[in-house]
Amino acid sequence: MRRLLVCLAIAACTRTPLPSRAVPAAPSATPTLVNGAGSTFVFPLLSKVFSDYVRVDPRVRFNYQSIGSGAGIRQITDRTVDFGASDAPLTDEQLAKAPDILHLPIVLGAVAVAYNLPSKPALRLTPDLLAGLYLGEITRWNDPRIAAVNPGVSLPSLPVAVIHRADGSGTTAIFTDYLAKVSPTWAQKVRHGTAVRWPVGIGGKGNEGVAGQLMSLPGAVGYVELAYAVQNKLPVASLANRAGEWIAPSVASTTAAATGAAASMPDDLRVSVTDPPGVGAYPIAGFTDILVFRGQTDPVKGPALARFLWWEIHDGQREAEPLLYAPLPPAVVAKVAVKIRSITLAGKPILVGQPE
Amino acid sequence: MTQSRWARRAATDAAMTWLCGLAVAVTLVPLVSLLWMVVARGASALSWSFLTSLPKPVGEVGGGVGNGIIGSALLLGLAATIGLPVGIGAGLFLAARGDGTAGRTVRFLAEILAGVPSVVAGLAVYALLVRPMHRFSALAGSLALAILMVPMLARGTEETVRMVPRDLFEASLGLGVAEWKSGLLIVARTAAGGITTAVCLALARAAGETAPLLFTALGNQFWNLRPDQPTASLPVLIFNYAVSPYPDWQKQAWGAALLLLVLVGVLNAAARLATRGRFAGGGR
Repeated sequence: MRRLLVCLAIAACTRTPLPSRAVPAAPSATPTLVNGAGSTFVFPLLSKVFSDYVRVDPRVRFNYQSIGSGAGIRQITDRTVDFGASDAPLTDEQLAKAPDILHLPIVLGAVAVAYNLPSKPALRLTPDLLAGLYLGEITRWNDPRIAAVNPGVSLPSLPVAVIHRADGSGTTAIFTDYLAKVSPTWAQKVRHGTAVRWPVGIGGKGNEGVAGQLMSLPGAVGYVELAYAVQNKLPVASLANRAGEWIAPSVASTTAAATGAAASMPDDLRVSVTDPPGVGAYPIAGFTDILVFRGQTDPVKGPALARFLWWEIHDGQREAEPLLYAPLPPAVVAKVAVKIRSITLAGKPILVGQPE
Repeated sequence: MTQSRWARRAATDAAMTWLCGLAVAVTLVPLVSLLWMVVARGASALSWSFLTSLPKPVGEVGGGVGNGIIGSALLLGLAATIGLPVGIGAGLFLAARGDGTAGRTVRFLAEILAGVPSVVAGLAVYALLVRPMHRFSALAGSLALAILMVPMLARGTEETVRMVPRDLFEASLGLGVAEWKSGLLIVARTAAGGITTAVCLALARAAGETAPLLFTALGNQFWNLRPDQPTASLPVLIFNYAVSPYPDWQKQAWGAALLLLVLVGVLNAAARLATRGRFAGGGR
């Protein structure tokens, strides 16, 4: 019996260097934990925002796990988390299961087409070329169709390794939404959504996984949120937009993509901004939505969540640009603010008399 | 004639010895290279702040896995609390009454449970606990781990207890000690070393599990000691960091892998230590 105790004691000692010294001086009460899950697209931004928000409201900690937009939608629908995050709005079918869910856009992001080629050339891609790569019709980088729009670029004779997402993904939803708009073949054969039947390619888990594979596989092409490409110094393609310009993903070109979206935004704020008509607009961009139930039930978490959302669409917007996300256009902020004000706790609006 | 036969035998002997040596080497190469790789890559990540601080926001360098260490400790502690009484109890029952219908049923079920893939245990707990309670929690994670520990504990306990000579038990009965007391104080106590081994091995197994934690304990980038809240764990951290594109996170994944390896190594060593002189009377 003593041996048993010794064994447990050894085990206990090796596992528990209690972090009493490392814990930041906690306020008198233990902070409330608000849990969320979903989009990996917005994870770089949200993890920064939540880390900074501790200073704005030390009473709350926002725990966010990037498990993919598809899983985020599923978990908020099951109410296993307090909020979800998704780059793809709920489908009508999904919304029917949880009609009380609000879509609250907090930021815009660009889906960058990144690649791993030895000489890191700056490439241009037309919608047809991009669809061709992902349909498996273009299989080598020195394909004359790629060379035709990239004069003067020496293209290697590498096979194209297509990387896509393996999990249910809002990034995939934005990307395939675009391809379905620009390529009739794609619209007919693959269609669009958070998970599609990919004609070719290998899957990665999350934006992190796709970026990781892009970095380790020469000849790879993949789509990731812009921050992932830039943080990892991956070259990204300039795409031909509807106005006929070559546009690289950037905060400015993403903002341009959303201009005009505000005017046509439906009442439930579910909107696609891919392949926009505007000048200077990057064609594969989208809103990331925080998904919350309009009727909150927890007297601590509900108000904390509403206060955070209010902060996020106002003061929090300045966190977006340094991480290459585009802040919301002012007209969209106004629309989202109305939605946030409609969040209730036990039937009563939470944010009463909140300054505009 | 005799001499050539001798030579042939010697040659055969040498060849076979050599082949056996080769087999040992082939077995050891993956183990040693794995250990070497984890130590070589993980050691550079280890530092005081790595052990005691929270993760930094995505893409920023620095931070640590303190939340994962505490989370794993919490999960293992809870899993042991749930799993040990059930697993050891079932093992004792099987050793004492294992030959009846009830015993055969229990053994059969334990064997099936031992064959259940760990991800299925996680799924079951998700459906039974996480969804109805509307929350991911350390408790759910440790329940999934406990499910994996119970069959190992039951089998280990039964095997050791069965090795205790029947005479001891009967002598105790002969002295007028009640049956349950004889079982617990004489038989189980004699087998304590073996049971301890089973406990250590089950804990080591649970410590390295990732799949059952993904949708039960979920994860948490803050400190957590509450059983009813999502919690981080070393295996899930390793999983998330290893697939990430950030070199610093990959380095931290190796560091966390080294921590996990040390933990499992210590548990296995403790198991060895506990079995030494198994029947010398573990309680004295």
